[in-house]
Amino acid sequence: MSIAKILEIALRTGRVTRRYPYEPPLLTPEFRGAVKIDPSKCWGCGACVKVCPPNALTLKPAGKEVTLEYFVGRCIFCGMCAEVCPAGAIEVTKEFELSSASLDDLKSRVIHRLTRCSICGSPIWTEAELRTVVKSSPIAEEYTLVCPKCRREKLVKAAKLRLGAGSE
Amino acid sequence: MKNESVLSNTVKVLEGLGAVVEEVKDSEVYLRATRESVRAVAKALYSSGAYLRTCAGVDERELSGMLAVYYIFGLDEQGVDVVLRVLVPEGDPWSASIVPDVPAADWCELEVRDLLGIDFRGRLTKRLVLPEDWPDGVYPLRKEFKYDEKPSRVLREELPEEAGVPVGPYHPALHEPEYFELYVEGEKVVDIAYRGFHVHRGIEKLAESQRFTYKQVPFLAERICGICGFVHSSCYVMAVEKAAGIAVPERAEFIRSIVLEVERLHSHLLWLGVAAHLLGYDAGFMHAWRIREQVMVLAEYLTGSRKTYGINLIGGVRKDINTEKIDRVLKTITDLRKEFTELVKAMLAVPQIKSRASGTGVLTKAEARALSVVGPVARASGLYRDVRKDYPYLAYRRVSFKVPLYTEGDNLARLLVRVDEVFESIEIIKQLIDVLPDGSIMVEEYDIPPGRRAVAAIEAPRGEDVHFVITGVGRPYRWRVRAPTYQNIPALRAMLRGNPLADAPLTIASIDPCFSCTDRAIVLDVKSGRMGVIRLK
Repeated sequence: MSIAKILEIALRTGRVTRRYPYEPPLLTPEFRGAVKIDPSKCWGCGACVKVCPPNALTLKPAGKEVTLEYFVGRCIFCGMCAEVCPAGAIEVTKEFELSSASLDDLKSRVIHRLTRCSICGSPIWTEAELRTVVKSSPIAEEYTLVCPKCRREKLVKAAKLRLGAGSE
Repeated sequence: MKNESVLSNTVKVLEGLGAVVEEVKDSEVYLRATRESVRAVAKALYSSGAYLRTCAGVDERELSGMLAVYYIFGLDEQGVDVVLRVLVPEGDPWSASIVPDVPAADWCELEVRDLLGIDFRGRLTKRLVLPEDWPDGVYPLRKEFKYDEKPSRVLREELPEEAGVPVGPYHPALHEPEYFELYVEGEKVVDIAYRGFHVHRGIEKLAESQRFTYKQVPFLAERICGICGFVHSSCYVMAVEKAAGIAVPERAEFIRSIVLEVERLHSHLLWLGVAAHLLGYDAGFMHAWRIREQVMVLAEYLTGSRKTYGINLIGGVRKDINTEKIDRVLKTITDLRKEFTELVKAMLAVPQIKSRASGTGVLTKAEARALSVVGPVARASGLYRDVRKDYPYLAYRRVSFKVPLYTEGDNLARLLVRVDEVFESIEIIKQLIDVLPDGSIMVEEYDIPPGRRAVAAIEAPRGEDVHFVITGVGRPYRWRVRAPTYQNIPALRAMLRGNPLADAPLTIASIDPCFSCTDRAIVLDVKSGRMGVIRLK
């Protein structure tokens, strides 16, 4: 009697499991998967790196360049990076099938060249970011070529001169 | 619900015993007691009807120059948390234990002792949380200890506490390891010993490190549990919002409540399936999980992910609900209700289910009260406790629902509580959707001043989940998490003793101990010394 009940349910429902991966997975349109970074849009500002909870996104400076690295193996698919990206360079995809024979396949990189301070030569920011800032406010251009430290020193020197301290 | 005169009378009694009122907030009262007087104060509080929610050790040397223990009590009837703070000097770190009068504080005091180095007098102490090879005198929750520091291992011979009791194998790779030693006489269990915390991940320490910010912790909190993760992230954000006085938009509160109930649905269906499996009724297991699948898909449709939803942030939620989603929710829960009713009927008609579950693993009301057990375990033993009713949070003030209550205290009662809760959850979701207010889902501008304290609690599928937060700069200064199973596992001893061994797997499962935790148990016959392993899966 009791067995008959569950049999009735079973016969009515039939088979519910899918033959994945031979059939498409059950994804809803709202599914959040791995992210994709568009290198042509990215400025290398690092906002995504700051917000990323599992450190899947990192900024690694090396010489004249800085590399934004996305390691999908650490990614938790939260999509916070796409939310904060000021350039709209990050897109949340539906990708979740990550298996691969090599670890390097799980990493994607965007390499940015750094600009240098015209006085001391230390790296300031990426060329892409400089272009974006200058484009949005052209007046900023002369400030963008000097690093904050040198700019401060320049300002102090100018103020001293104005106050009549003379040059040292 | 809140009765000011009862509360002020209680506080007056406590003041008479040496407690000093530090701060009174809307639903929290902070008291300070000396380490000598704390036992008397805690005793009076506990016997006045307060439940112990948890205790937390805090390294407050940067704030008050002392170490501190916070005992968090809940006056269920008033809906008020009474927090008892005991300051302990670093040079002479001891405090009187409240365990003789408040048995529920057993574990959390040991945890404070392990992680902060405060000794508790007047009770048996042993290492609980830290691994055997952790060096003495290194306390990970003290601020000078770096979150990524790895102290050198101390190899020591593990001495059995009682002669002739071998310590069984642990297998950390298999699910979550927890370990029960069952002492049996023939077929009867005479005692149990429990060892856990093999996978203590130091999440609380991590959250207060430079590595995390307020905004990132919800994603970490969500990973405390693989089944009720949303409870933890909601509880964390609620605690911070309460501490900082951030008013969350009503719509966000409703969305959180809806998702919390969806989570309860999937959790209870999962448990019901596993319980059927343990009783040898695999057809029931498969159909429970088949029905559960539509809840998982619904969760993904609402939040973007099947589990670890990732939609909670301080100030609100990240994903809104539109009419399309509302239609889908209503359709899913209507189907679910129909299918679940049918399944439960079929399941309970199987005579073995009822006969094996009824009368086994009994937890009496008195035992349940003494151990401050929570959730379905408490409600199956006749304790009327539900955070959603006692300390209404989010949108639960706006819905009407019943709290299922059974007095038998056996496995069947715990099963039926969960079955009833599935129906209640479906009704709650319907009501919430009905009156879903318009408006924004997030406040962007807020300020979190340091040094504020708050307790938040949520009724998780397994019971009351409590988070205690002291705010810091950029990240919590201290974040204490007490998951429901923490409060329920000590009750297993009472449930198992004197029962046949064959019922042990179901009884252990009946508290729904974040299920994968209970992987195996060792059986030791006290008379012959014969040993074997029973597998729970």
